[in-house]
Amino acid sequence: MKRRHWVRLDNASNIFPAARSDVDPKVFRLGAELDHEVDPALLQAALEETYERFPLYHAVLRRGVFWYYLQDSDLQPEVTAETEQVCAPLYWADRRTLLFRVVHHRRRVSLEVFHALSDGTGALWFLTDLLSTYTRRRFPGEAPADDDAAEQVRPGANECPDPSPAQIGTHPGAQAAEEVHELTTDSFAHYFRGRRRRRDPSSHEQDFTREAAPAVLTVQEDDAPQDQWAEDAEGGTPGSSRPPRRRIHRVRGTRTPDNRTHAIELTMPAAPVLGLAKAEGVALTMYLTALFFEAIRRTDESAHTTSTMAASVPVNLRQFFPSTSARNFFATIRVEHTYGQGDDSPGAVARHLQETFSAEATPEALERRLHRLIQVERWPLARIVPRPLKDLLLRLINHANNRSLTVAISNLGRVTLPAPAQSHVGRMLFHVSAVRPQFCAISHDGQLTLGFTSPFVETAPVREYARLLTDAGVEVSLAAARTTEEELAGVDA
Amino acid sequence: MRSCTDCSLQVEGDWEHCPLCGSVLHGTEPGGPGAPGPYPAVPLRFSRRRVLRVLMLTSLGVIVLSFLAQLLFRHDAESLGALRSVWLGIVATWLVVLMAVSKRRNLAKFIVYLVVAAGGVSVYWDFLTQWSGWSLTYVVPIVCSASIIGLLITVRVVRMELADYVVYSGLTVLLGLTPIMFLALGWVEVAVPSVICGALSIAVVVLLLTLRGGAVRHELATRLHL
Repeated sequence: MKRRHWVRLDNASNIFPAARSDVDPKVFRLGAELDHEVDPALLQAALEETYERFPLYHAVLRRGVFWYYLQDSDLQPEVTAETEQVCAPLYWADRRTLLFRVVHHRRRVSLEVFHALSDGTGALWFLTDLLSTYTRRRFPGEAPADDDAAEQVRPGANECPDPSPAQIGTHPGAQAAEEVHELTTDSFAHYFRGRRRRRDPSSHEQDFTREAAPAVLTVQEDDAPQDQWAEDAEGGTPGSSRPPRRRIHRVRGTRTPDNRTHAIELTMPAAPVLGLAKAEGVALTMYLTALFFEAIRRTDESAHTTSTMAASVPVNLRQFFPSTSARNFFATIRVEHTYGQGDDSPGAVARHLQETFSAEATPEALERRLHRLIQVERWPLARIVPRPLKDLLLRLINHANNRSLTVAISNLGRVTLPAPAQSHVGRMLFHVSAVRPQFCAISHDGQLTLGFTSPFVETAPVREYARLLTDAGVEVSLAAARTTEEELAGVDA
Repeated sequence: MRSCTDCSLQVEGDWEHCPLCGSVLHGTEPGGPGAPGPYPAVPLRFSRRRVLRVLMLTSLGVIVLSFLAQLLFRHDAESLGALRSVWLGIVATWLVVLMAVSKRRNLAKFIVYLVVAAGGVSVYWDFLTQWSGWSLTYVVPIVCSASIIGLLITVRVVRMELADYVVYSGLTVLLGLTPIMFLALGWVEVAVPSVICGALSIAVVVLLLTLRGGAVRHELATRLHL
């Protein structure tokens, strides 16, 4: 019998299998629009080639008594025509399936990934590799002389392997470091445990609280310097990192008829929007976030003039702590704004958000936060807590965390693809299944695409968002997936 | 590409109406009006609304049939005995749950429905078990009084517009007056519950008319407008 390699699910990822639900299957989609109808046979060949280069993507997720773990598999991925809704579920307990899928529809190629496997940046490496392999096969004349182009997009794929398991703790299943190097790299452990003196290197594979990190990461301890908020802190113990008890405005609505993610995308030229953000003196992400707050405030009757809105914004930790791991390696920063306390124009809100964000997104601040988290996570008692109980705890943490958020935002930034792909790919797309309104931004080829997702049928916030942009002179085009019963009337299974 | 003049944006795909605001789109795509969009139309796996409607109708059917089925059995205790109580108890609870779910947006209305359903079921139950008058003597007056008190509390606790509850409060109070009629017709053996219920109702009617008389007249005029 073959002994399969396995790795315990890493720090940031455990929340995803625990918190997934019918409404939010914790799947995200990265897509690219080509300049021609996709050739399924070539895409399949390209997928097989790419698949061989990414051992992590061979993984299936399994449940142990105490932990989830990723196990190597012999499964082969298949390219399919798009027949399911955006961000359809990818993981079912007890079913051994790959944790990603590649679908195509007309000119689009989409990669959908279960979030426990990888984050946006990691998945973008896979998609980039897939697209450049595909375009090299589709346009053989344009292929660059050497094949390094494909490799350079994934930082140090084989030339610069991640630290060997010996440096970061090993277990019996991971002797073959070369073969499964993605499967054995836990970036969190590598960067944030390295300086700690370890008494027992093998033991830290099993610390419970580490799994809670993604939810706990969003907790901020010093986001409210204003005096009027001082009373909020009275109830908490000194130095605790509890979020303030202020009520955060939450968007409510009618669920979609079959729990599918409601996906709408707005495409616009990137330059004018960047110009708008620059004119306000803020980064694009915070400007877009402030616009979202404004759009919700304008359309939601229950949003009072003094309500507080909060957003969670993931930060790619690879920018601060260079890593070549494709596993989840991000921290989320929570930013919020209370209306009715001064200038509430989108620009002013964006500047306020930017202040909080910039203070939190420094390497020092992130390192401090994560070191503290890891200390908490190494609490030994938690290791013997069975997984179902941990799932329950994580679900509760996730639920509490959701209550303190109005929206979530994710920005993958500007993408550059290697040579043949760059000229044949137009805009790129990014959607995340969501339990609350959310948008994801990605830009390529001078076009910025905002992928709005929501569990609700209501479109008013997106409508208002588009109006805010068009009023500012930005040309916006809209594409949407049919979602409501009226929109899908006459479409039979 | 088609465009929505209200939202002033371009819409990709074969949409007739703007997916954001619902207004009719103008213009056509170069490839003709039916040019498909970047997303396939994925049929619904199920529709929550339809699932709920089927569940609701099936439940109502089962409840009605259960009540009717009681007529097939003799009215004495030997026929069904305790089984009838269990059966009717479950069915009545089910009915209350259904009403609570479907009327959850209007608590005042739910209370009226509850009083009518609880009163009706208990009278029927009494009739099925060799009529001894317990429903009219005890259940109806107690349910009516309790609902009036419940309504007073609800109105205090839940933020409700006067216009939203005033009519149903009026109906609840009028229902509370029916035990006085039972008393007058001599249908009850013990008078105390009916007397308390009637007195409470009259007191609330007087209060309602003196304090909120204008609003009541306005609402009635609005709703009964021919």
